[in-house]
Amino acid sequence: MSLFRRTSRRYLVVLAVAAVIATAFVQRHLVVHAQPSEPSQLTVYSPQTTYSVPVLEKNGQPYVGLVELLEPLGTVDARPDGKKYKLRYTPPGGKPREAQFTEGKDKGKLAGNGYKLPGNFILQSGRGYIPLAVVPDVMLRLATLEVEYHPASRRLFAGNPPERFTLELRKDTTSRLFISFPAAVNPSISTEAGHVHFTFRREPVIPAGADSVKFSDPLITGATFSEQAGVAELDVLGTAPLMANFADGGKTIIVAAAPAPPPPVAQAPEPSAQAPSNVPVPAPPPQKPSTPRFLVLIDPAHGGTDVGAAITPSLAEKDIVLALARRVQRELANRGIAASLLRNSDVALSLDQRAVAVNAARPALYVALHAANTGRGVHVFTSLLPAANLSRQDFLPWDTAQSAFIDLSGSVAGSVAAELEARKMPYTTLVAPLRPLNNVAAPAIAIEIAPATDKVEEIASASYEEQVAQSIAAGIAAIRGKLPEVRP
Amino acid sequence: MTRRILLVFAALVIIAIGLAFYALQLRRKVARDEQLAAQQQIAIAPPANGPSTPVTLYVASDNNGALTKTEMNAVLPAERSERDRSILRGLLELYLQPQTSHPIGAGADIRDVYVMGDDTAIVDTNSAFADAHPSGVLAEELTVASIVTTLNANDARIAKVKILVNGQERETLAGHADLRRFYLASNVGQATKDVP
Repeated sequence: MSLFRRTSRRYLVVLAVAAVIATAFVQRHLVVHAQPSEPSQLTVYSPQTTYSVPVLEKNGQPYVGLVELLEPLGTVDARPDGKKYKLRYTPPGGKPREAQFTEGKDKGKLAGNGYKLPGNFILQSGRGYIPLAVVPDVMLRLATLEVEYHPASRRLFAGNPPERFTLELRKDTTSRLFISFPAAVNPSISTEAGHVHFTFRREPVIPAGADSVKFSDPLITGATFSEQAGVAELDVLGTAPLMANFADGGKTIIVAAAPAPPPPVAQAPEPSAQAPSNVPVPAPPPQKPSTPRFLVLIDPAHGGTDVGAAITPSLAEKDIVLALARRVQRELANRGIAASLLRNSDVALSLDQRAVAVNAARPALYVALHAANTGRGVHVFTSLLPAANLSRQDFLPWDTAQSAFIDLSGSVAGSVAAELEARKMPYTTLVAPLRPLNNVAAPAIAIEIAPATDKVEEIASASYEEQVAQSIAAGIAAIRGKLPEVRP
Repeated sequence: MTRRILLVFAALVIIAIGLAFYALQLRRKVARDEQLAAQQQIAIAPPANGPSTPVTLYVASDNNGALTKTEMNAVLPAERSERDRSILRGLLELYLQPQTSHPIGAGADIRDVYVMGDDTAIVDTNSAFADAHPSGVLAEELTVASIVTTLNANDARIAKVKILVNGQERETLAGHADLRRFYLASNVGQATKDVP
């Protein structure tokens, strides 16, 4: 009997190992299109902007790209040279500071001083990566910004401290929770039975007091704050359905009991004979019309797994256009023109997603940015679609929405071309069968930068990008008066 | 109890081995299909005999972003779609030369041209045409424009052109030029500067 048991155990072990090996083999060969896991990110809150930086697992620890980290804050000129990587960062209106690292080494230089990384520096496809752990130190030494870092949630507050909100429960006729912020907030809000949940993706908020608060109140019983994966969340608990309202220009959120649902129609009482029939129904308060604004939406093409054109083996189109987009945004801001980026990090967006996002944003002008090593100088494109005499107020066909704006788009292209001409930069103006240009219901142009000379690497040089960005911004500023402002 | 566990494990192992074998067969089938598809791409046009005919090619140049009109004589098949295909293959041949001013991916070819309803041409290219095409708005636009304009110049009834890749519709040529749409020859004419 014991011999049988020993034999059975041996068989069991052998069979279990075989099953594991066979299952692994099946998974390896049968799973063709495995879904990539959601990439983790570092969220950086700075006085200029809020942005996210992809966090990559390398050598068993998290790493971030130096350029991705610093570029939204100032001007970055990064040059890989063999195994060496040199980076010059210039804050707006400040002096440049340099960093130098070597691939596979943990020692380098930061702002003129020797610096030791907690892991080896990684140079991959021309991009330099440093361990996430040293990001606060690098921001302090290179960007000269005071930082507060929350490692568990990967939220980094650079330049300004986090904005602390307060909770105050007021008990008048009914209980209301006042959540007060130093600046206006715009969280996404979800409600479910006994909960109101706020998700803050762009706001640098943390509670002024404890993360978890309990109230001795029959309606609102507590609130819990948490941070994870680069976002902050606040959950307000109640014993009845709750709802949230904004007040004080978005600086205050008031949580109160949700109004009771209206009684079913079948049970509604008949109108009383005594009820005055001529009582005027109070009209809803007149909606204050939103102010028209002039917003330029800049779309750095490609991103994520879609790298676009390989300008050189280490220079991808997606990176060049993101850097250029940020420069154009700064140049427009210098000219008093508001601009936002369709993507401000290395994320993939489909052409349809881009078109939907643009049309939802209702910009006064859409500018798509591309880069290539074909041709010379700057190529300025408008849509190939023929102009159509469509009312811009009507619903427009998705595939040909741009037809209604072709004339305005052409004017913008001409204005940018004139600025390129004035700066003696080589350029070509053309029409192109390019999406999502055709789907955009706003004046729209696409700009493709190519090297101005035979030196292909110059396409990513700070001086060339600066010249192009200035030409684009000056061209837009010159034509601004002819483009209609749009109500958001 | 022990025997029951043994039986369950044995069954699981048999199922796992069976699945592994099935996966292996699937991989082999995919590889065979890909090889077959690659062989089919290298279709050979029927030999043409007869008098040579004047042919107009609109040849793209990346340097000036223009199409250059080029006249030549060639012996072409009599059948209309085969004739159109031969002309386009001749155009791609120019782009595949080492000294070309508009390089395209090695191995690019036209699998077929289908003429539908007299005025519409469906140009079916091979995978290499799109997969190895240089990425860029200008580069892709010039390729599309030269195909459409050349077709229209030699077969004036062709007013609309659609480009397929390996028999399938594709969103873009190499990340930029829209391949989902039908191109109007009259419209594409304005896409590039025409250098006579």
